Amino acid sequence: MRNFYAAMRRLLHAILLGLLGAGIVHIAVLLLVPEFSERDAWSRLSMASDLYRMTRLDAEAGGAPVVKSVDPLFYATACRFDLGEGMVRIKAPGHVPFWSVSVYDRSGHNVYSFNDHTATGGVLDAVVLTPAQMIDVRKDLPEDLQGAIFVEAPIEEGIFVIRAFVPDDSWKPIVSRFFEQSSCELQDF
Amino acid sequence: MLKNAFLTLLSLAIAIVGGGGSVWYALKVQDGVGAIRIGQWTAFPDIGTPSADPYSKARVAREGVLALGRAEGLSFVAERDTGGAELKRECTYTIEGGFPTARFWTLYAADQSLGVVETGKPRLAGLQSYGVVRQPDNSVIISAGHHPMPGNWLLTDGFGRMYFVLTFYDTPIASSTGLSDVSLPHIVKVGCDA
Repeated sequence: MRNFYAAMRRLLHAILLGLLGAGIVHIAVLLLVPEFSERDAWSRLSMASDLYRMTRLDAEAGGAPVVKSVDPLFYATACRFDLGEGMVRIKAPGHVPFWSVSVYDRSGHNVYSFNDHTATGGVLDAVVLTPAQMIDVRKDLPEDLQGAIFVEAPIEEGIFVIRAFVPDDSWKPIVSRFFEQSSCELQDF
Repeated sequence: MLKNAFLTLLSLAIAIVGGGGSVWYALKVQDGVGAIRIGQWTAFPDIGTPSADPYSKARVAREGVLALGRAEGLSFVAERDTGGAELKRECTYTIEGGFPTARFWTLYAADQSLGVVETGKPRLAGLQSYGVVRQPDNSVIISAGHHPMPGNWLLTDGFGRMYFVLTFYDTPIASSTGLSDVSLPHIVKVGCDA
């Protein structure tokens, strides 16, 4: 009988130890998921296209949408950049009813966002750069960057996303053209 | 000796299966940490920001979400009607009430993955504020269902669970201070197709 109790106590001990371990594993797995995910936005985009290449995120361009949860009344396009190679300039001439822009870091966190009310004349012209590059640019601002919006982001790799509102079907070609004319380039300085 | 090995294995099995499984479950349920509830509507204002909690961060990484920024807008998701029942694609609902200040809003019927419901028709299962008829007091009444209805009609189709996604763009409520006294429309069930 005493043997039975001893065995039960050891079993209970093992189960409690297991539950404590489960707690530790839970926290460890939770913190490691963002590090090792191969399904995050960056990985999905890198499968679809290269750096500095605009890629449509909505399903309208054909094929399944690259990134989930895009409003069906919106078109979206994205490009990946690496500030380690230099600052990146995003331009999109033309007017649409509403556009908004978000800069994400490598793990898909929104670092900065703005919309067409922020831009001069509603035209999208933005430069993403690191604080160190910003200091260099401030010293001698080039003529053609005067009207641009500067987004200072303390990141290296990142994603730039443009979203544009499509109120109804008649706006589809106009918004599509807006995206076709958009560019995402490494800016020499 | 064999008993010791068995107990060690048992502890390890509980730790790994329990730990991994609980993370998987926590990321699967819709109602997570950091949610803000207004009536039937749920929003995650912090999702996708660097200040998000670890669960939101893991969900963002696992699902490849690129969340709307504060200057862009804020999304609300509803999964139940005012009676507390789950929204069904075969049912007809009335969405009624005032909408908070925003440049415009969009509303669409979504499936489990929060993608828009496929209707198989040219009409999209979505509406936007520039294209709705308003009441004299500026409130909006929307009828959602399979069959055409007068006023504002949100087309839905199919069977099974449904969600409504309401997104406000360029809105002051996206900043945390604005969310306290916001009221959102009610979702009332009208009837269901047998």
